[in-house]
Amino acid sequence: MSTSTQGDLAVDATDAQVLLEVDDVVKHFPVRSGALIDRTHAQVRAVDGVSFSLKVGETLGLVGESGCGKSTLARLITALHPVTSGHVRFRGQDITALNRRQMRPIRKSVQMVFQDPYGSLNPRRRVGSILSDPFSVHEKMSRAEVKRQVQELMARVGLSPEHFNRFPSEFSGGQRQRIGIARALALRPDLIVCDEPVSALDVSIQAQIINLLEDLQDEFMLTYVFIAHDLSVVRHVSDRIAVMYLGKLVETGPVEEIYSNSRHPYTASLLSAVPVADQAFRTARRERVILTGDVPSPVNPPSGCRFHPRCPKAQAICATEEPPLEHKTGDPIGHLTACHFPVNPGETLANASRDAVPAPEAAVGATEGVDQ
Amino acid sequence: MSLLRAAVELEVIEEQNPDAKGTEQAYEGRTPWRLAWGRLKKDRVAMVSLGFIVLLFLVAIFAPLLTALIGHGPNTQYTTSGLSLSGIPVAPGHNGFLLGTDDQGRDVLSRIIYGSRISLEVGVGATAVALVLGLVMGLVSGYYGGWIDSILARFMDILLSFPILLFAIAIVARFGPSLDLLIFVIAMFSWPYIGRLVRGQVIALREREFVEAARALGSSDLRIMFIEIAPNLIALAVIYATLLIPINIVTEATLSFLGLGVLPPTASWGNMIAEAQTGDLFTVAWWFLVFPCVALVLTTLAFNLLGDGLRDALDPRHGRSNITPTKRVKRSARSSGREKDNSEGKRA
Amino acid sequence: MALLDVRDLRVSFDTDDGTVYAVQGMSFSVEPGQTLGIVGESGSGKSVSTQAIMGLAPGATVTGEALLEGADLLTMSEDELRHIRGRTVSLIFQDPLTSLHPLYRVGAQIAEVMETHAQMNRKAALERAVELLGLVGIPEPKKRVRDYPHQFSGGMRQRVMIAMALALEPKLIIADEPTTALDVTVQAQILELLGRMRKDFQTAVILITHDLGIVADVADDVVIMYGGRPMERADVRAAFIEPHHPYTQGLLQSIPSYSGRMGRLLPIKGYPPSLMRQIQACPFAPRCPQAHDECLVAPPPLKPVGTSPGHLSACVLPSDAVGLPAHDAQATPAEAAVGGVEP
Ligand SMILES: Nc1ncnc2c1ncn2[C@@H]1O[C@H](COP(=O)(O)OP(=O)(O)OP(=O)(O)O)[C@@H](O)[C@H]1O
Ligand SMILES: Nc1ncnc2c1ncn2[C@@H]1O[C@H](COP(=O)(O)OP(=O)(O)OP(=O)(O)O)[C@@H](O)[C@H]1O
Ligand code: SF4
Ligand SMILES: [Mg+2]
Ligand SMILES: [Mg+2]
Repeated sequence: MSTSTQGDLAVDATDAQVLLEVDDVVKHFPVRSGALIDRTHAQVRAVDGVSFSLKVGETLGLVGESGCGKSTLARLITALHPVTSGHVRFRGQDITALNRRQMRPIRKSVQMVFQDPYGSLNPRRRVGSILSDPFSVHEKMSRAEVKRQVQELMARVGLSPEHFNRFPSEFSGGQRQRIGIARALALRPDLIVCDEPVSALDVSIQAQIINLLEDLQDEFMLTYVFIAHDLSVVRHVSDRIAVMYLGKLVETGPVEEIYSNSRHPYTASLLSAVPVADQAFRTARRERVILTGDVPSPVNPPSGCRFHPRCPKAQAICATEEPPLEHKTGDPIGHLTACHFPVNPGETLANASRDAVPAPEAAVGATEGVDQ
Repeated sequence: MSLLRAAVELEVIEEQNPDAKGTEQAYEGRTPWRLAWGRLKKDRVAMVSLGFIVLLFLVAIFAPLLTALIGHGPNTQYTTSGLSLSGIPVAPGHNGFLLGTDDQGRDVLSRIIYGSRISLEVGVGATAVALVLGLVMGLVSGYYGGWIDSILARFMDILLSFPILLFAIAIVARFGPSLDLLIFVIAMFSWPYIGRLVRGQVIALREREFVEAARALGSSDLRIMFIEIAPNLIALAVIYATLLIPINIVTEATLSFLGLGVLPPTASWGNMIAEAQTGDLFTVAWWFLVFPCVALVLTTLAFNLLGDGLRDALDPRHGRSNITPTKRVKRSARSSGREKDNSEGKRA
Repeated sequence: MALLDVRDLRVSFDTDDGTVYAVQGMSFSVEPGQTLGIVGESGSGKSVSTQAIMGLAPGATVTGEALLEGADLLTMSEDELRHIRGRTVSLIFQDPLTSLHPLYRVGAQIAEVMETHAQMNRKAALERAVELLGLVGIPEPKKRVRDYPHQFSGGMRQRVMIAMALALEPKLIIADEPTTALDVTVQAQILELLGRMRKDFQTAVILITHDLGIVADVADDVVIMYGGRPMERADVRAAFIEPHHPYTQGLLQSIPSYSGRMGRLLPIKGYPPSLMRQIQACPFAPRCPQAHDECLVAPPPLKPVGTSPGHLSACVLPSDAVGLPAHDAQATPAEAAVGGVEP
């Protein structure tokens, strides 16, 4: 990660408003093989130098394609994975250096809501018992008090408290997601990382959960990191957006800014690729940029700008030099883009020039071989 | 009240009563165990097997009472009523010997009844020890992974490839045969079966989101292992314990047959079979060889059939088609890395 | 004449827990070259209705009519159906990995379709397979025909499925959530490909999805399904701008607007109906904000509504009551709170 980014992003840690600071975090997973002795052949570079910061009460929307490292980043923030390098600071305290005991108070303040409402609740435990976990782990409370707290929680997220004794399988997907939210909420955290909380739900239930999350945010002054691949949902809930591609942030900025004035070619094509129900008829059809190929493997990411094999604007320099995530002239403060040739307002990407780069298809073929 | 209000209220009532509700959730409806029991009850073969096993336990428990009713002790030699003048055992049904007598004039039925005590004691006892050991070792091995896992997994492999008979002969030669030793030896060699299965499951469960959620809450390793993961292993443990019991019963019989287990005159199905076929009297008096064999085979069969039934009931994915709500998780875990991890877990 | 005309299709399953009435009177038709979207929530019977038509719903009791070029698919023998599934109608499923055999080369699998159904010889079939792979945008098709499915990414596998579906130049492609497992950028490629195929080959497409955006984007007409029945049928423009059925309106209001933050979302209250009984009313009535007593007497039949031709809705409300209710008027905090809390 180049140093200029840090200059842009470095936030004064004494600023009371800053809740979370992610500073150049890297997470590599070893790719193992071999029957008897595990040998590490390569690294999955799941998160490769990501920095951002988050203020109290803010919602950061994190978008990107499958495998770009969103969930891994979420697990680094919640300290479920140790970082390979870099720092995660919560209220100015570096949580990557803490041991288990020192982590305990942080665990109360940073919680996570998971994507899969079926997988994130233990199928063999009753809901009441699942929801009493936070209290039994962290607080010394009598059984009756725990039960009262749990029922209060259930009521708060719109579940009937009498369903205390049911198993998760007796609830629908939306109800299960409410249970997951209740569990995250139990200890009154400051930060909740929501990893695709509505992706597995039907649209009408999706709306209920989004409303619930918004209400809770107002009520408890929550800060969210909200991961989703549905760009309409992200736009609805977020104050700021961070776009990830292959383990890196390629663009970040205020939500309206990103949606109306995206500078990175990837963001622009991602936004144009989403089929949108209401826009198709109400406004003029957007010009659509169809990217070729799939996301390359993070085991062996492309050199230079990681997007260059698919980028409609790529030039020779893109393959050799990595563009830093920096402020581009003309953009408002806080809008950062990692691109050598940012999209200019009004520019059409569909017929942008591409020279001096390998044919996209060949590049895709090559990288996919590695994937296997 | 309008029709509409009535209909809406009907819906609401259904919402509150999960069993009356017909939406997707109702298929899964009730608790996992009650559901499994419901499925098991419909399985005729398994229910007959279960009945047989319950009966067998009753017989074993009330053996003294039963033999008193019959009027023949298990080890008493009825030299006058139990053997013909030429020393041939009495055939089934004669002189009050329902299943006849053996070459020493002992009542075969009484001996089989007492033998069932040994079989169940060893079968269930050894399996219980194996179950506890297997669960704990499998949990630790699968949960911690790394070098702990490498060592434990290799250890289990070694135990599983060990020739149990040779080992048993050596141990018995050193300590002399006894029932406790028998249980110990059998348990030592059967826990790795359970341990390996549990380990595989734990490796898969460890990666599940509910375990991550527990870690995010700050739960301790012990708490995660025993409160989060262990309840998910019970179904598997029950199934395999049921299938391990007959294996251990047969092992007991084999060891007793070889004179390494229960020593005569105490009756065990294994040593009854062994004694019966030492001479060639059984060619004339087949019953004192055949009936212990039948007892052994029926018992083994019953446990195996019940185990299969339990497997279908507890793990319906392998059984008949069953409706589970369609779950849609878009773009989840398609990652090569994770898939690989899982498949390794399954293979193990 | 419609290419496929389905009338009053009913599908039920006998299960341990009782009978599941998965489809309770589905009707729709597809014209040659048309793309028909079928949308609806999970469990509304989208997959089951198309599977039942094609004889792919084992254990189901199916009644009704499904006329493919005038011939009723529901009365055909398994052999006839198999023939049709190969030649006239192709199916594409959601999960491209499980639909391909992992142990055979991709080329061989495409070729086999043509060998069995079009009596082509091996060599010609393989050549055509290369051609098809190129057509669906697989780079270096000559080399990649020799690959196994696992060597392809998810998007590429789905393209292989499409190549296979196109192999016999069918008149109708039924695509059941073909892009649900794929990334947006790859989804865009697949949707564009389907659109191009339709233009080039005049193939009719039935596109099953729960994503209203996809439908808005690629379909000509759309059927909105609920509780195993069609609620509304219209050309997409009318469906989105002048929806008639309250369920359609509810769906449209519960998706976040892409064009900006618009206050609270308006979820549909309540839950989908039980399919364990036959519903003798409008299935949406218990959740419908505008339900009358009339809605509970019998399931309302599809009737023409609105101004655009072919716009049908199964709702008793006046035919001219189309369009979304004003968004803000409804978003009173009290009402929104009710929407967020379950009974
Ligand atoms: N425990 C792990 N071991 C090895 N590789 C991993 C592990 N977890 C994630 N990866 C790899 O890291 C990369 C990023 O994965 P991650 O789950 O963060 O992606 P994502 O953006 O959340 O994708 P999705 O949208 O599919 O959830 C992927 O290539 C994945 O294979
Ligand atoms: N083989 C079966 N036996 C019993 N019920 C079934 C069977 N197949 C489907 N169903 C039920 O029929 C109903 C309709 O299912 P279907 O798969 O058509 O829904 P769908 O609209 O395709 O939903 P999704 O969006 O989740 O794919 C569901 O309630 C389902 O549980
Ligand atoms: S740096 Fe080059 S390749 Fe990367 S996004 Fe910008 S123009 Fe495209
Ligand atoms: Mg993820
Ligand atoms: Mg379906």
